[in-house]
Amino acid sequence: MLTLLGRMRALAVRQQTGEAFRCLHLTAVTEAARKGTREKARKKKVKVEVKKVGFIPHNQRDKKINVKRADKHVDDSWKQVPKDDVYVGRYYRWPVYTVAEAIQCHRETHHPSMYNVPNASLNVEIELNMQGEKATRFVDNFQRMAMIPHKFNHGEERKIIVFTKGNDEIVEAREAGATLVGGVELIKDITGGELLLSDYQFIIAHPNILPELVALRGLMKRKFPNPKSETLGVNLAEMIIKFSNGISYSATKDEYQQNFGLIKASVGTLDMDVQHLEENIRFLLQDVNTMRPKRDGRFITRVLLKSPPSSEQLKIDPFVYIPELYDKTAAKISREAKNEAEPAPQQALEAATASN
Amino acid sequence: MINICKTQLNLLKSANSVQQQVRTTFVLKRKYEPLLHKTNEKPRRLRAKHFIYELVEDTQVKKRPNMEVVLKTFVEGVGDKGDVVSMKPHFVYNKLLLPGLATYKTPENIVKYSKTEAEKSTVQHSSAYAQRTVTMLESIVLAVIMNKDEPWVLEPWHIKASLRKAGFHCKEECITLPKESIEGPDLLKENKEFNCTITINKLEQATLKCRIHHWSTDPSERLPYVLEHWKLPAEPLLDRSQMEVSTTDGQQPII
Repeated sequence: MLTLLGRMRALAVRQQTGEAFRCLHLTAVTEAARKGTREKARKKKVKVEVKKVGFIPHNQRDKKINVKRADKHVDDSWKQVPKDDVYVGRYYRWPVYTVAEAIQCHRETHHPSMYNVPNASLNVEIELNMQGEKATRFVDNFQRMAMIPHKFNHGEERKIIVFTKGNDEIVEAREAGATLVGGVELIKDITGGELLLSDYQFIIAHPNILPELVALRGLMKRKFPNPKSETLGVNLAEMIIKFSNGISYSATKDEYQQNFGLIKASVGTLDMDVQHLEENIRFLLQDVNTMRPKRDGRFITRVLLKSPPSSEQLKIDPFVYIPELYDKTAAKISREAKNEAEPAPQQALEAATASN
Repeated sequence: MINICKTQLNLLKSANSVQQQVRTTFVLKRKYEPLLHKTNEKPRRLRAKHFIYELVEDTQVKKRPNMEVVLKTFVEGVGDKGDVVSMKPHFVYNKLLLPGLATYKTPENIVKYSKTEAEKSTVQHSSAYAQRTVTMLESIVLAVIMNKDEPWVLEPWHIKASLRKAGFHCKEECITLPKESIEGPDLLKENKEFNCTITINKLEQATLKCRIHHWSTDPSERLPYVLEHWKLPAEPLLDRSQMEVSTTDGQQPII
């Protein structure tokens, strides 16, 4: 009985509250307005989504994050210069060898009584400061071919295709060691699809065939002969020798340190004459130095001579062969000389494109 | 009476003996410069903001210049007796002045501790770092890698090249090999130890422990690699009383 009474009372109370609500403004219009403002406010709020990241194994984590890397440009100038005739290397500056001394050191370790590899290849590691004219700009990775006076077996297969019209030049190119030499008929073969240009790493052309060669521009793309990369010129034999015997090297920037570039190249074998090896190193360094950005300071920072299987790396002084610092006047003169030499093939190229 | 007592008490009081130099100089700059006052008038009153300062320099954290001292004796890694050396002040105080190895640089001290003729003639140390080189050379076991297939006779330049690979630079004439010639290839000599003498600056002598290892150009012909072979005891190569076979302790790895 009591419970029933209680229920009745509860009902009565509920009814009362319902009436009280009815007194408030609860029309559809106001509801809509309030809804709109709420929506606006909700839109204004930028939702910050916190993504839950589960456990990532250490070997799969992004290595670029929070890793302090040592500067790859090694500077040991704060160290002492050794005065004793026997010293512990780690407390002193690296010894700087002349090329002849460094080769002698490598010959010692590769002597038949030790490693017994007297014909091991002599590798050069050139460290570059890739900073451009501005601190935030860097020199792009580059790949080049350095002409060397003393050839050696570099162990690469290099196929060279030469385009020229004149009969004398065809003979000249064949003698110089080109893989394939031809004129207009060769161009027709390529356009007909009988010959694949991708089989040849290097394409060289004489300016006299340029008007016809323009038809292959789309196929060759960046390989199209041009005087800047020294693939277009009158002196075919010299170019062929350069591309067949030269040192092909590429400078690559470090993945994590943009201003550190490294060139690894082979300049010969240990059983070659010291003078010849030195000449090759000189030509390689001079070729690398042509890529120097127009800024003060060093471009080539360190040069090491290595020879497998020994892990020794011997530092040599590159500034015997090339100027250490950027010389404005010298650069200007060389650029002017280049500009004077260039117009002839450039004009030919322009004429060829105009005729097509 | 009372006065006397007081004075006595003051007399008995010990003086503060530790007189530490305290650097409390701070160079400051006003944040807001006060305005100039008119001629023949009193300067304007300074406001609260004029007492706000900015720190220009804290002399406490400034790098102290090097100190010059005269060495009383030979100090390894620093210099010989009578040398005037310039080092960092903390190093000078803790490592040279406190142990009594050096004194402050004064004209009297320079004269007092300069080398006498007798001392000059009996040279004990060729350079400040020669002794360190000796201890380091004696602590290592040098691996002399020789060919397994080609005949050879051990020569000083083999040791020189091996030392260079291990990070020690020396000249050929500094190396003295054992009198008996060591020839190979001989697999009986593999990992056997012999001593050679390194003379530093024609004065200090270091006994260098060397072990012969045979190496073949062809990878399949090579001997199996022994892990941390320099830590293992080795037999002497030459039967000599001077050949003391090293114990395993106190050796540094050299590959």
